[in-house]
Amino acid sequence: MKQAGRWLLLAVPLALIPQVAHAQKKKPPNAGAAPAAAAASPVSADADADQPTPPSAASPATPAPDSTVPPASDATGAPAGAGGVDICQITPDAPQCAVAKEVNMATEAEKPIHAEIYAVQQQYVLKAQRLEIMPYFAITLNDQFVSHNAPGLALNYYITQVLAVGVNGNWYDGLNADSDFNFQNRRAARIAVPLNDYQVSGDLNFTYVPMYGKFAGFGDFIFHYDAYIDGGLGVIRTKPEAVIDPDNRKFDWNTLVNFDVGIGLRIFFNRWVAAVVEVRDLMFFDRIEATTVAPLTTAPATNPQSPLNPATWYDPNTHFTNDVQMQVGLSFFLPTSFEYRLPK
Amino acid sequence: MKRRFVSAILATLCAVGILASSGPAVAQEIQLTGPLKGAPAVRHLRLYRQGRLELAPSVSFTLLDEYRRTILIGGQLNYNLLDWLAIGVWGAAGAISTTTDLADRIDATSPRDPLTAVNINHSQSPFGGYASFNDQTAKISYVVAPQLTFTPFRGKLAIFNKIFVDTDFYIAGGVGFVGLQERGDCGAAGQLLCNDPKSFALASTTKIAPTFGVGLKFYPAGFWSLGVEYRALPFAWNRSGFDERGSGPGNNFPDQKINSEDETFQFNQLVTITLGFYFPFQPKLTE
Repeated sequence: MKQAGRWLLLAVPLALIPQVAHAQKKKPPNAGAAPAAAAASPVSADADADQPTPPSAASPATPAPDSTVPPASDATGAPAGAGGVDICQITPDAPQCAVAKEVNMATEAEKPIHAEIYAVQQQYVLKAQRLEIMPYFAITLNDQFVSHNAPGLALNYYITQVLAVGVNGNWYDGLNADSDFNFQNRRAARIAVPLNDYQVSGDLNFTYVPMYGKFAGFGDFIFHYDAYIDGGLGVIRTKPEAVIDPDNRKFDWNTLVNFDVGIGLRIFFNRWVAAVVEVRDLMFFDRIEATTVAPLTTAPATNPQSPLNPATWYDPNTHFTNDVQMQVGLSFFLPTSFEYRLPK
Repeated sequence: MKRRFVSAILATLCAVGILASSGPAVAQEIQLTGPLKGAPAVRHLRLYRQGRLELAPSVSFTLLDEYRRTILIGGQLNYNLLDWLAIGVWGAAGAISTTTDLADRIDATSPRDPLTAVNINHSQSPFGGYASFNDQTAKISYVVAPQLTFTPFRGKLAIFNKIFVDTDFYIAGGVGFVGLQERGDCGAAGQLLCNDPKSFALASTTKIAPTFGVGLKFYPAGFWSLGVEYRALPFAWNRSGFDERGSGPGNNFPDQKINSEDETFQFNQLVTITLGFYFPFQPKLTE
């Protein structure tokens, strides 16, 4: 008999525990004034319609809501949790009233769930407010007459995760290579193709990164990559090689305005080092050598018909030129570390 | 003095004790337990290739052409033995062939005289002017290349954070049989002289060359893919029909003959776009 009192003392707090359990956010203090019927309702009007709420353990005998009566309403149709005030009678157009009338929880519960799962949960590298330093080597892709290979350097500052502003420059002088094909063509067909050398180019660019992803290599390791497009404008210095009349013509460098567009792929080794491959097209109106020689070979250079007159050396028309390059390089992001704003 | 000595002895003993007690560092494999124990890295991985037949119509564009560009229409047929290895064939026919600016300039302005007689057809065209230089430039008629395709990298690509596509990177390699239309041999005993207008006619020939390429395939759905491929097909051929080599030091001077000496090595390059269909339609899933 003495132990019965102890068991009773133990039973009191156990009985009290379910009354302090909360399955939802704690309501404001005045919510305690809600009618008992509203408190026993299985679904609150404030509940998220996309979240099916389990039936309350405190009211197992509550009948399942049918398809016509909104379960969130009491007998008067007032949404629960409104503190005894029928908000839907005052403002029938309130959003929660529309939800309460339209949502059928039984039907909603049977719907398949399309949980949103991101293909890449968290981007491997955050680029916003980081500086990218990219040394590279550019290889000519589209000029079978003269190749204009060049080392280059790009500096890009990422304003956002996907947008950067930057500059890049190439140094071509000393690496322009005239193909044997030009000589063979001149010898066989007596046709000389005007050839131009490049000295240096520099551009101001905007970069946009619309694509990113990851690859599994050999099913063993994963690496991340992104793809970007860029474009801008700048200057390039070119000069013709004296092919048609090399005895008289000595060209100087011309500074020309160019536009450039490119598309690139960046493969990350870690969060601040990446390999970069980019195809870029530098477009400009080039000045090329005239394919005809002025006829008055004995006239002084001041004569407009003299081959010594520099005004006769250039073709009168400029020629739209595409210098398509493949740039291969490394990309370094500074600072080398960063913090995600949200946990994974 | 004695106290300092005792302190030093004690400190030394402590240091020795610490060093002696610290055994060699041992790293051990982390034994995964719980529900992930033994689980594969990727569940329900879509095996787009394994055990499937791929039929991919393709269009290819030649790059860096000197005298003539070619667009080849064809297709690839691959059987994927494994998800990363396929055996198949790429075949294409030269459907469209256009001349470059250089070829047009040669045709329009190159002098027809004894100095160029071996290299450029100087006969009169029945339509006026000279016979076209473009008619003597070589063409690619077809390519057939049995090949192996190796897919080391597979992954996915997010575009604008809205579109997600599975993506593969592959390497293909094989042997290419290239059908060409090339200026026929001339100038040797029993052959036409090379300044004979008839000697500028094209003759069919076949070259055997290695071919290799790299590409990306995108899978918007389980039964079809979109691919882009860069391919190299290096071999020597006489693209212009010129007499360029055969005599003098190193055979680097013209010899008034057209033959294999006049072929020059070219790293022929193509970009190919494919639209692949897979059979059976549904890819297998891993567990």
